[in-house]
Amino acid sequence: MISEIDSFTEKYDLLGCIQCGRCTGGCPVTVRADLNVRRFVYDAYNEEKLEELARLAEIWDCTTCNTCAVRCPKGLKPLEVLLALRSMVVESGKVEPTVRDALQSVLLEGNPWEKPRATRCDWMEGLDVKMAEPGVPVENLFFVCCTIAYDPRLQVIARNMVRILNKLDLDYGFIGTDETCCGSEVRTLGEEGLFEMLIEDNTELLNSFEAKRIVTFSPHCFSVFNTYHPDLKSEVAHYTQLFEELAGENKIPWGGELQKKVVYHDPCYLGKLSGVYDEPRRVLQKIPGVELLEFDRCRERSLCCEGGGGKMWVESNSKKERLAETRIKDARALGADIVAVSCPFCLLTLEDALKGLGLEEEMRVAEIMELLGEVVEE
Amino acid sequence: MGDILVLAEHRQGTLREITFEMLAVASQLASNMGGEAVVLLIGSGMDEMAARIASYGVKVLVVDDPLFENFNGEKYQKVISAVIDDLKPLVVMTGHTAQGVDFMPALAVEKKLPLVMEAIGLAYADGALKATRQLYSGKVNATVAFKPADTYLVTIREGVAEAPEPASAGPVEKIESPLKEDLDYRKFVEYIEAEVGDVDITQSDVLVAIGRGLKEDKNLSLIEDLAKAIKADVAGSRAATDAGWIAQDRQVGTSGKTVKPKLYIALGISGAFQHVAGMKGAKTVVAINKDPEAPIFNVADYAIVEDMFKVVPKLTEKLKELKG
Amino acid sequence: MKTFVCIKYVPDTSEAEVKVNPDGVTVDSSRFSFDINDADNYAVEESVIIKEARGGDITVVSIGPKQSDVMIRMAMAKGCDRAIRVEDDRIAGHDPLMVAKVLAGAIKGQECDLVLTGCMAGDDGHMATGVALAEELGFNHAAMVKKVEVLDGKVKAYRELEGGLMEVVEVALPAVLTIQTGINEPRYAPIRGIREAQKKELKVVNLEDLGLNPEDVGPEASGLVLENLYVPEIESAAEFIEGEPDEKAEKLASILVKGGLL
Repeated sequence: MISEIDSFTEKYDLLGCIQCGRCTGGCPVTVRADLNVRRFVYDAYNEEKLEELARLAEIWDCTTCNTCAVRCPKGLKPLEVLLALRSMVVESGKVEPTVRDALQSVLLEGNPWEKPRATRCDWMEGLDVKMAEPGVPVENLFFVCCTIAYDPRLQVIARNMVRILNKLDLDYGFIGTDETCCGSEVRTLGEEGLFEMLIEDNTELLNSFEAKRIVTFSPHCFSVFNTYHPDLKSEVAHYTQLFEELAGENKIPWGGELQKKVVYHDPCYLGKLSGVYDEPRRVLQKIPGVELLEFDRCRERSLCCEGGGGKMWVESNSKKERLAETRIKDARALGADIVAVSCPFCLLTLEDALKGLGLEEEMRVAEIMELLGEVVEE
Repeated sequence: MGDILVLAEHRQGTLREITFEMLAVASQLASNMGGEAVVLLIGSGMDEMAARIASYGVKVLVVDDPLFENFNGEKYQKVISAVIDDLKPLVVMTGHTAQGVDFMPALAVEKKLPLVMEAIGLAYADGALKATRQLYSGKVNATVAFKPADTYLVTIREGVAEAPEPASAGPVEKIESPLKEDLDYRKFVEYIEAEVGDVDITQSDVLVAIGRGLKEDKNLSLIEDLAKAIKADVAGSRAATDAGWIAQDRQVGTSGKTVKPKLYIALGISGAFQHVAGMKGAKTVVAINKDPEAPIFNVADYAIVEDMFKVVPKLTEKLKELKG
Repeated sequence: MKTFVCIKYVPDTSEAEVKVNPDGVTVDSSRFSFDINDADNYAVEESVIIKEARGGDITVVSIGPKQSDVMIRMAMAKGCDRAIRVEDDRIAGHDPLMVAKVLAGAIKGQECDLVLTGCMAGDDGHMATGVALAEELGFNHAAMVKKVEVLDGKVKAYRELEGGLMEVVEVALPAVLTIQTGINEPRYAPIRGIREAQKKELKVVNLEDLGLNPEDVGPEASGLVLENLYVPEIESAAEFIEGEPDEKAEKLASILVKGGLL
């Protein structure tokens, strides 16, 4: 036990912390919740306190937006301390029922939404989708993401993608019902054992396809494949990177225009965690008619939507304004017609906030692939 | 010729509605199968209740003994077992209730008789008794045929038949209890009433759930009136929690509670996937939403496309009237 | 305390369309997800809670296919000690009385104080197996139990009746309790625990191994014949209630009250 806790201190380099407080200072959830991440880094050094810390509700407030890690002058990852504490709770089995059910569903059905694996590709109905086959070389292997595959609101993203890929006559393939959760949310919910299993299984599955690159829809899958899958044989790209290439080479046949003011919201997992800031913007700028606006808080300073870090399954107790609402208000102040996102969680949280503020008539939230679906020639 | 024996169900001095519903099922069956509907009433101080049942024009057999002051599945099993030996009824029928399920399967094993649980229909034709029951929470119906037997055992779902009108009074006949002394292996202790005020929506039978469509908290009284009229608890979507209209512990959905009420009335809830995941186990869903495209309608059994404020007050009024 | 907990592997059909196979007596389960029956999951948790408080051990009993082993390992990860899985396609699964005989065959002859099982299966919903099992074993029982207190030689069982009323009974051990959902909050089985549970004993047996004669628990022994399954017509989609707002309200009220929904 002692050695395990020693490794806790070592693993997260707790002794390297100088308690400067930049992590907490930059943490977006501090305006809503009691979370003080600096305090956790300090307290976690005391091994006897770990169990007590793991019982604190605020460890579940972290959205894993990575701001604390980006800002730490010593290169530490304060959020990882919170995730390690979550792991202690998971190992005890005493997690919230919503978290329990999501994790169990990943184990049994390969997705956190308690949906049968067999229905994972129902979104393909009526479309001519090229399926990848193990051992057969393919240029772009698409990885859909559980949330896009199952949420009827989000399936349009995948459907639009297929239509456009077919139009462009690109060499691509989809995985089918064998596709399994990338584990990003499993990791942030603290289920280390399951995450390790998913890394192994997904590495094996993805390597079975002779893919030049794996193209993900979600920044969460993108980040987790790039960061935790060292044995993947293919490079991993986010779809906005692919479309930036295509747009740059003028390969996209525009069939219409979008005379709108569009502000782009940087998803944490694409921006702060992966450093992809420009490609989605360039894609948007290529859409005929689009006037691209910028939030004051953009790129590295972008405000988190609170959709990551397992927060789709853990509700905050805070009654204060959701960050997503702040974001929508900011967009409105800018005079934006559309808040464009490139992440399924950002879409859900921001759209929910927009409806909550009753602004459906004035503005909309849209995934970039939704916008592309509207302007790429039929 | 055997009869169709119906076990009367009562609790805390009150006959439960299922007793009369079964009378309708039993009379119908008797007209095809032969014999007549006979009610077995077990309890202590049963005169009044026996007379009330008899007023429906059926014969009532009464076991009236202080040993039966409260329900006890093991004791009921002993009585019915003796009655089966004595009267050789064609059918023994109880409610599919906390009482019926507590002894009928054991009785079936003891007497080696066939048993169908929670029938929603019974039909007798060409010498064969068949039951209809439901599987997969009502998504599939099954026709189950009894093989020929001396007595058929069946529990009947509540609410599948309408109680008949009272008729000329039938006879009441006391029969002797086969139980001579109290059981030492199962004892009734007490009843505990449901706690009030401390609502756990995962346990609610009826939920009225509100969403963004409520618009503002001054509209809450409309919802509370409705909930009160039908003894429902109020729940809601994440939007309703966010707005502070309902407490956090009444939120339904992936980040809230998973509920399985018998009836879920969704008012002004669009039915986001994350909300639906928490209420998909509801037996019957009623949805009222002004948006005809609202996904909540995909999981609804009854749907009204309308502004909730135009429907709810009248609905409450009408429900109060119908429920008396 | 020697506890047995009987669990069933069932499909989740809450959102799925259920189609009847051409044979007319089975459903197409190719698009379903499967997991432990909801009420049985609570029974497992309750058995573990009792073990944590009073010591003893827990044996899982289940009738089901190889695929259900993951469900059994999860129960073991939570604290169950061993398992018996009966795999035999000669059992008349449509009749809970036959199922109870098989479960009894798996328990008989072993030391046993308490048997827990869910009060209802989410697929066929009989609510009969546990109480029939008690009779087969010659044990006492209480059905639909929402709270358990273990005392010396007996249990205090809180039975959930209609309308939220609880009936408290004392039942002498050995006994079978059928457990109602909501009695506790089932814990999560972490993967590391499931891996660890691979070391525990899981015996796979058939009817002969249990000393049962297939003819006593098969279709010929059952007093029931499952003739056919069919999808009831009205259930498929929402019934849209039309009319002026007031009319809609009145129609709905009448459906709710006269349809027995309230």
